[in-house]
Amino acid sequence: MRRVRACRAEEVPPGERVIRDVDGLSVGVFNVAGTFYALHNRCPHRGGPLCEGPVTGTALPTDDFAYAYGREGELVRCAWHGWEFDIRTGRSIVQEHTRAKTFPVEVEDGAVYVVVGG
Amino acid sequence: MIDCDVHNSWRSARVLLPYLDPYFRDFLERGELPGGRDSFPHAHRPWLHPEGFMRADAVPADGGTPGSDYELLRDQLLDRYDVEYAILTGDEAIEASTLANAPLASALVRAANDWTIDEWLPLDPRLRGSIVVAPQDPAAAAAEVRRLGDHPGMVQVLVSTGSQRPYGDPFYHPIWEAAAEVGLPIAAHLGGQGGVNANPTGCGPPTFFWETHALLVETGMGHVASLIAHGVFERWPTLRFVLVEAGVAWLPALLWRLDADYKALRKETPWLKRLPSEYAAEHIRLSTQPLEQPHDERHLWAVLEAIDGEHTLCFASDYPHWDFDDPRQIRLPDEWRERIMSENARELYGLPQRAAVA
Repeated sequence: MRRVRACRAEEVPPGERVIRDVDGLSVGVFNVAGTFYALHNRCPHRGGPLCEGPVTGTALPTDDFAYAYGREGELVRCAWHGWEFDIRTGRSIVQEHTRAKTFPVEVEDGAVYVVVGG
Repeated sequence: MIDCDVHNSWRSARVLLPYLDPYFRDFLERGELPGGRDSFPHAHRPWLHPEGFMRADAVPADGGTPGSDYELLRDQLLDRYDVEYAILTGDEAIEASTLANAPLASALVRAANDWTIDEWLPLDPRLRGSIVVAPQDPAAAAAEVRRLGDHPGMVQVLVSTGSQRPYGDPFYHPIWEAAAEVGLPIAAHLGGQGGVNANPTGCGPPTFFWETHALLVETGMGHVASLIAHGVFERWPTLRFVLVEAGVAWLPALLWRLDADYKALRKETPWLKRLPSEYAAEHIRLSTQPLEQPHDERHLWAVLEAIDGEHTLCFASDYPHWDFDDPRQIRLPDEWRERIMSENARELYGLPQRAAVA
């Protein structure tokens, strides 16, 4: 396991994301409501640049056939085919077993570190 | 064998006169009819079969309409193939869906249903009927489903695949709600292409009958997609939808496409909890006839395996129509045969083993 400095925390305000080369891997660093997460910038669906797609919310699941928008800033929608993934878990919200690779993140002295090789 | 599509017919639509109230009886007695005095009111499809639609050997001795003579139907189908149950789908009644006058259409299908119950079901314990409804008036159709839903001889609600909108549209929900309430499956049979109903092909009307007949499966695709997308099977989780005579080999490809597009755009239909293909596997059934006929039957079987054909297909002969499938000639994997020839329909329609009936 290696801890690699990815960016300064102030480069990624809440709701934003940056994409950095981390030890040869393209990794997206996201700030979801003040907490940082890192995803491999490779969609498990067809290998597209997952982290380059829009950070969004979505239509919440419903039992009464009503539309409600929610989870703003919690999802990234792959730049290629638009599959929605939970930034915090890397899981597709349609089929949970489809999962983007996630990396542990540590913040120290204003810097965001991504832990790779685990 | 259980035959899921048997066309009982009338020699003359005037058999419906006693079943119509005086107001609508007047329409049938004195009104304009598309094929002369004995014909059923409907807006005829613009594609006319150049050979007349019926098996040439199914004309009764008195020259009447094929399917109108019980004894010939019994000899040519029920006895010949040892049919355990025949699901009657009528013939012209579903074409009432093409009429602009929805109250007239509803009156005609009510009369046709009562005629089937009075004149056909008592003839033979192997016969079961369909509650034909005119979907252009969903409230009247729902009332008809509730009126006859507990009749022990009526085993499904029947509409034409030709329609004004795809069947998942909330416009039709009152009908499906009634079907769920009485516990009957809904069947959509090929037909109703004309009149007020939508063009069956999205690129405009085809020219020839055979060309059109091969393409009519397109309406089935639209209904399957719509029913799933609108969450009909989330609203009524016990509902089953049977596509009759609408082909089968297209379904896997459609479901692959629906699954792929849903994964990207589920936010349009947040009421769905599963993939489209999962709803289809549980809720959609298909009658086999006319089963696609590839040069190498293994190609068809491989495709049908993708929709678990062993458990989703139900045999139908379409007697006495021109594209009849003979149950002894139809080619299926041996290990699927029992389920497709009888057991899937038995479960779908809740039909007891005949031995237990006797």
